[in-house]
Amino acid sequence: MQAAATTATTEVPAKGPGFPPFKTESFPGQVFWLVITMAVLFVVIWHLIGPRIQGTLIERRSLIAHEIETAQENRRKAEQATVAYETPLFQARERARAINNQYREEAAATVKKAEAEADAKAEQATAEAEARLSRIRAEAKSHIVQAAQDATIEIVSRLTGERISAEDAAGAVRATQEA
Amino acid sequence: MKMNPMEQFAVKPLIPLHIAGYDVSFTNQALWMFIVVGAITLFMGLAVSKRSLVPSRMQSMAEISYEFVANMIGTATGEDGLRFFPFIFTLFMFVLFSNVLGLLPGSFTVTSQIAVTFALAAFVILLVIVTGFLTHGIGFLKLFVPKAPALLLLLLVPIEVISFLTRPISLSVRLFANMLAGHTMLKVFATFVIALGGAGGALSLLSVAPMFLIVAITALELLVAFLQAYVFAILTCIYLGEALHLHDHH
Repeated sequence: MQAAATTATTEVPAKGPGFPPFKTESFPGQVFWLVITMAVLFVVIWHLIGPRIQGTLIERRSLIAHEIETAQENRRKAEQATVAYETPLFQARERARAINNQYREEAAATVKKAEAEADAKAEQATAEAEARLSRIRAEAKSHIVQAAQDATIEIVSRLTGERISAEDAAGAVRATQEA
Repeated sequence: MKMNPMEQFAVKPLIPLHIAGYDVSFTNQALWMFIVVGAITLFMGLAVSKRSLVPSRMQSMAEISYEFVANMIGTATGEDGLRFFPFIFTLFMFVLFSNVLGLLPGSFTVTSQIAVTFALAAFVILLVIVTGFLTHGIGFLKLFVPKAPALLLLLLVPIEVISFLTRPISLSVRLFANMLAGHTMLKVFATFVIALGGAGGALSLLSVAPMFLIVAITALELLVAFLQAYVFAILTCIYLGEALHLHDHH
C-alpha cells in the first residue's frame, strides 16, 4: 500500500497537474483503441455469438412448440380412443339391459301362466274331490238306512220274536227319519 | 501521505506508439478495453459453446442478456429496429463490462473517460442521422417539427433542434460523470480508511466506518454500473426508433 501510494504521488506530478479525463493529448489514442476493440467485439458478436444464441433460442422455441403440438395431438388421440372405447361399452350395456328386461318380462309371463294353470288344476281337483265327497256321503247315508232297517228287523225279532218284512222296517226307518 | 483520487483516471502509456503524428500509445486504458472485449467474448463464447437445449447457468445468463437487449430494442425501437441488434448488443455489453470491471480494485474504468463516452455517443447520433436520412430522405427533418400551431413552431423547432444536438453531450456526460463520481467517491473513502488506520490509537478503530461505507457504495456502484449501461443502450434504442418512425408512434 505504501509503495503504491508513493508511485501514485510521484507519477501524477510528472504528467503535470490537471483532471486526467480532460487531457486532450490522450484523446486520439483513446478513440483509436476504442474503435479497434469495439470493431473486434462487434464482429465477434455479429458473426459468432449472436447467431449461435439466436440459433439456440429458435431451436428451443420450435422444439417446445413442436412438443406442445405433439402433446395436444396425443391428447386428442387419447380422447378419441376413450370415445371409441366407451361407445361400444355403452352400447353393450344398453343391449344387456334390454335383454335383461326382455327375460324378466318373459319370466314374469311364464310364472303368471304357470300360476293360472296351477290355479285351474287345483280348482278342478277341488271340484272332483267335493263331488266324490258328496257321493261318498250319499253312499254312507244309504248304508246307514240299510243298517237301521237291519237293526230294526233284528230288534223287533228279539223283542217280539216275529220277523217283520223289509218293507215295514224301511217304512219305520223312514217314519223315524222324517219325524 | 498524499493520495489523489483522480489518479485512477490517468491514462498511462504502456507501449509508446505513434501513427501519422498522433500519439496512439498502448495505454492502461487500451489494455482494459481489450480485457473488457476478452471478458465478453469469453463469457458469451463459453456460454454458447455447448448450445444445449437445457441451458447451463452460464448459457442461461448469455441467453438472458441476449433476450434482454432484444426485448429492449423491440419495445423502444420497434421490430424493425432488430437489424441494429448486433450494434446495440455490442454497445450494451461493452459499456456494462467496462462499468462492472472498473469496480475491481486497481482496475481502470474505460467508461470513466469523456473521450470514450463521447466517441460512443457521437457514433450513436451519427448512426441515428444516417438511419433517419436513409429511411425518410429529407423528410427526416420533420423530426424537428412537432404537431403544433404555426406560431408555436417558431419556439418549438429551435427547442427540438437544440435538444437533438445536446443528445450526444447528455448521453456521454451521463455515463462519464456517473462512473467518475462513483469511483472518485470510492477512492476518497479508501483514503479515509488508510489515513484513519495510520493515525493510530482510537482513530485506527474508527477506520472500520469508512470501510463499511466502501462496501455499501460498491454495492450501489454495481447497480449504477448496470443502470448506466442500460440507460445508454435504451436511449440509443429510443433515438434509433425516432429516426425510423419519426413521430408516428406518438
